Amino acid sequence: MIKFILIVNKLGQTRLAQYYTTGLSINQRVALENEITRRCLSRKDKECSFLEFRDLKVIYRRYASLFFLVGVDEEENELGILEFIHCLVETLDRYFENVCELDLMFNIDKAYMILDEMALNGNIIETNKKTVIAPLHIIDQVSKKLK
Amino acid sequence: MSMQVRDLIKAVRGCKTAQKIREVITRESALIRNSFRKEDKINRPRNIYKLIYIHMLGFPSEFGQLECLKLIANPSYIGKRIGYLGLSILVTENQEVLFMSTNIIRNDLSSEDRYVVGLALAALGNIGSPEMLRDLAPEIEKLMESESSYLKKKATLVAIRTIRLVPESVDRFIGKVRTLIGEKNHGVVLTGLQLVLSIVKTEPETIVKFRKLVPGLVRMLKSLVNAGYSSEYDFRGTADPFLQYNILRLLRYLGEGSKKSSKLMADILTQVGTSGGISKNVEIAILYEAVSTILSIESDSKLRVTAINTLSRFLSGRHNNSKYVALNTLLKAVNTEPKSLKRHRKVIVECLKDKDISIRRRALDLVFGIMDKKNVESLTQELLDCLPKAEKEFRYDITAKICTAIEKFSPNDKWQIDTLIKVLTIGGQYIRDDVSSMMTSVIGRNPDLQYYTSKKLFNILLDDRYRNQTFLQVSSWVIGEYGDILMQKSEKDGELINTTQALDLFQILLESSRTTDETKYYILTALIKFSTRIEGYDELIKKIIKPYREHVNVELQQRACEFFLLFDYNEIRDPILDRMPIFVEKEIELEIEEEVSENINKGENNDIQKNTQIIQNQINVNQNIQTVQNTQNTGINELLMLNTETKKTQPQNKQDSLNFLQEIFSGSGSRSNNNNNNMNNNNNNNNNKTGGQGLGLDLGLGLGLGLGMNNQSQRQNQMQTQRQTQQNQMQNQRQTQQNQRQINQNQNQNKNQNQSQNKSQNQNQNQQKVQNQPFVVYEKNGIKIEMNFKVGNIRGTPAVMSIIKTTNISSIPISNYLLQVAVPKTLKAQLSQPSGQTIPPNGNGLVNQQLQIIKLVQQKTQLSILLRVTYVINGQKIVENKEVSNIPIFF
Repeated sequence: MIKFILIVNKLGQTRLAQYYTTGLSINQRVALENEITRRCLSRKDKECSFLEFRDLKVIYRRYASLFFLVGVDEEENELGILEFIHCLVETLDRYFENVCELDLMFNIDKAYMILDEMALNGNIIETNKKTVIAPLHIIDQVSKKLK
Repeated sequence: MSMQVRDLIKAVRGCKTAQKIREVITRESALIRNSFRKEDKINRPRNIYKLIYIHMLGFPSEFGQLECLKLIANPSYIGKRIGYLGLSILVTENQEVLFMSTNIIRNDLSSEDRYVVGLALAALGNIGSPEMLRDLAPEIEKLMESESSYLKKKATLVAIRTIRLVPESVDRFIGKVRTLIGEKNHGVVLTGLQLVLSIVKTEPETIVKFRKLVPGLVRMLKSLVNAGYSSEYDFRGTADPFLQYNILRLLRYLGEGSKKSSKLMADILTQVGTSGGISKNVEIAILYEAVSTILSIESDSKLRVTAINTLSRFLSGRHNNSKYVALNTLLKAVNTEPKSLKRHRKVIVECLKDKDISIRRRALDLVFGIMDKKNVESLTQELLDCLPKAEKEFRYDITAKICTAIEKFSPNDKWQIDTLIKVLTIGGQYIRDDVSSMMTSVIGRNPDLQYYTSKKLFNILLDDRYRNQTFLQVSSWVIGEYGDILMQKSEKDGELINTTQALDLFQILLESSRTTDETKYYILTALIKFSTRIEGYDELIKKIIKPYREHVNVELQQRACEFFLLFDYNEIRDPILDRMPIFVEKEIELEIEEEVSENINKGENNDIQKNTQIIQNQINVNQNIQTVQNTQNTGINELLMLNTETKKTQPQNKQDSLNFLQEIFSGSGSRSNNNNNNMNNNNNNNNNKTGGQGLGLDLGLGLGLGLGMNNQSQRQNQMQTQRQTQQNQMQNQRQTQQNQRQINQNQNQNKNQNQSQNKSQNQNQNQQKVQNQPFVVYEKNGIKIEMNFKVGNIRGTPAVMSIIKTTNISSIPISNYLLQVAVPKTLKAQLSQPSGQTIPPNGNGLVNQQLQIIKLVQQKTQLSILLRVTYVINGQKIVENKEVSNIPIFF
């Protein structure tokens, strides 16, 4: 099961955070993000993409200036999650056309929506990029009409 | 007027310091609050949007929670979308807001617009509380049968959350599984599989039922594996890997414990587990899952061997990620497939040299896992080889593993000594403390190796590259203890080692600024031992020791003074500094009996000297007995515990030790130093009683030494006694030194002990921080057992640590105290040895014990413990069971 998904830039600033476990206060959350990011950033390219953190495994992957971090429990397939991260990035890329940090910052709602279409309650729902983006296109069309 | 979202983000981005960001956010939060207060409907979505951003930056945003509800209740989709997003991000724990949202969500779930339903489901899936999910379960159930696959898969995931948070609702969803898995849409099937997985985990009895799904799942997997290119779910040439590995995972649950089901899947597993390439991450992900399944279910040995071989292929591959998962999986298989694992020793050892610490750590565990008597030498050598390059914290791990390997598999003592010396020299200061104690005990029991070891250590000591403190301590102890053997034999062998050289070396080390005070204690002790081992160097040794009588370190000063004084009492110096008795770890009990009878025979001589020796022996015996009673652990730790115990109990009441001694000597029980002194005067001629009194003194002095400066009055007593008679003085001195020596002897251990004490102190502090009040679990006959709990984790497993304190407030001493602990099968408990078996009355002392409880299952469990308390009070043995189930700890 996925416990959280984080997107962080290389300065360690959180750009998107979705938690699937309850019970973390804001301070705990900030502390957790800081520590994980710090440890992730300090790792070298040649090291494996997993790190153990408390009772979680954090799987991370770097895309240009953005780090995608996913915290999972013991049972999850680490390599599968890596593939999921890639799938998420490809989907964001397809929607935003060459996604970058700024796209996420200024369209955080869309980014969350894409994520919600792909994963919910710590489980993966959908990995077909087209299906994931379809509802977003509809929203975009509707809002265009309204304007 | 508050800013546009875009402007806020820009403003924050423009800030150069965290302080600036805080200012911007505080100002904006105030404006948003104002706008909320004014019920500004137009700006509400924008404000929530901004709050989401503010929340992400880690600033408070609770005041927006209610506004989210207002947005959700709004009929417009755009408003709802932001509202739900706000709800699932901003509202985490606030049960009230969640409760209020239930009805709005219920309405939305029955909306015509499937995207509105989708939003409601997504919010439920992410933040739904048990109460909400229980209330809305019928709606969710209905939506799982919806025609739209878009809603079906989302509803299924909400069902999974419901099962997780409200386990009793599981029956409601079992019936839905078959249709979900039979769907064409991959998303629906994927969520269906995850639903089965969560049902199976919550309700393991359902596995039997679900085994019927196996043929269908196998077929599905086969068609995926053999499928050609399908644009919809293609991941670099692999058809829907997520579906594939979820099927494999479900097969694992269904195949475990069932030969029949396992047989059904064998073919496809062989195909998946052997045919895939290992160049792409996707392929490896599926292979990895397949291999884990093969190793978990009841597959035949041939298939298992193939699985292990596949993992070994990962290890020799280029990808670090696959190495990591392979090592992890192999670790799980280490107990079931030791033979086939050992065949891949080379690749595993190779991973020890990997650049990645995570991989090296795994590899280390695995190397240790495949270690046995046959390969221990070569594998330990491999571990030693990677020691010099390892990081500090990793060195601790390696040396710890080597030590355990030595304990378990050492083929002979010479090898053990060689390895320990290597650990000491290469490992530097980053080594586990028991290396030194292990070393001293193995040399002690091998007279043949004493020359070999001391020579080797001496030669290494000459080379200043290896002068780390632990090594210095061990080598100076060994050279001091076996100095005579070293010098005599090396002369015979024509080695270039002589006493002057050794003394020079010690002096250089003593004067070196890199030598810590603690190491200097050892060196001083080694020097004084030298004076008795080899004749003719007294003056030189005196000269070296002399300056330390004025050393700023009190302990060092004390040692130097006492050692210096000892030169004036030649007749007692030798026996005091006599060779340490061999430390036998397990057969102690038998030997004690022999020793006692032997000593008693000797005691027939009316010679004070000899008598004292008996006493000393008896002390040893006494200690040994206590040691045996205390624990069956490694010998050094036993002595250690003893040390603490004597120190702790003596200041209040010497009963503990004295009781035993009284039995042996039938002397009158002297309980204070004054009494001792009196007795010294009165009973000077009575040999038997001199024995008793000597002991009393000994204990008193031991206390003085043990507590250092704090115990001045007792020290004065010592002085008085010293002045009383010459005989007494000698005896006294001797006992002081005996004690001193024991303390020196136990220094390795002392160090150990200090560290462990520090550790436990730290733990205590942490516990006080985290934990609430101590929990009284037992109170009867004046005995009070208190436990305090701390939830944490040990090596990644959730665990509860507890310190158990037992006190006795009655006026009767408690003896033979024993506490046993049992926990439910879902937990595993580990109880440390108690700090003592007797508890002095009137709350004057306590027994400490540590308890660790590890969880073996995934579900949240409430802690419950069964205690059995055994003790003797008033000569009556009492055994009592007590169940403690009301501990407010869930983990």
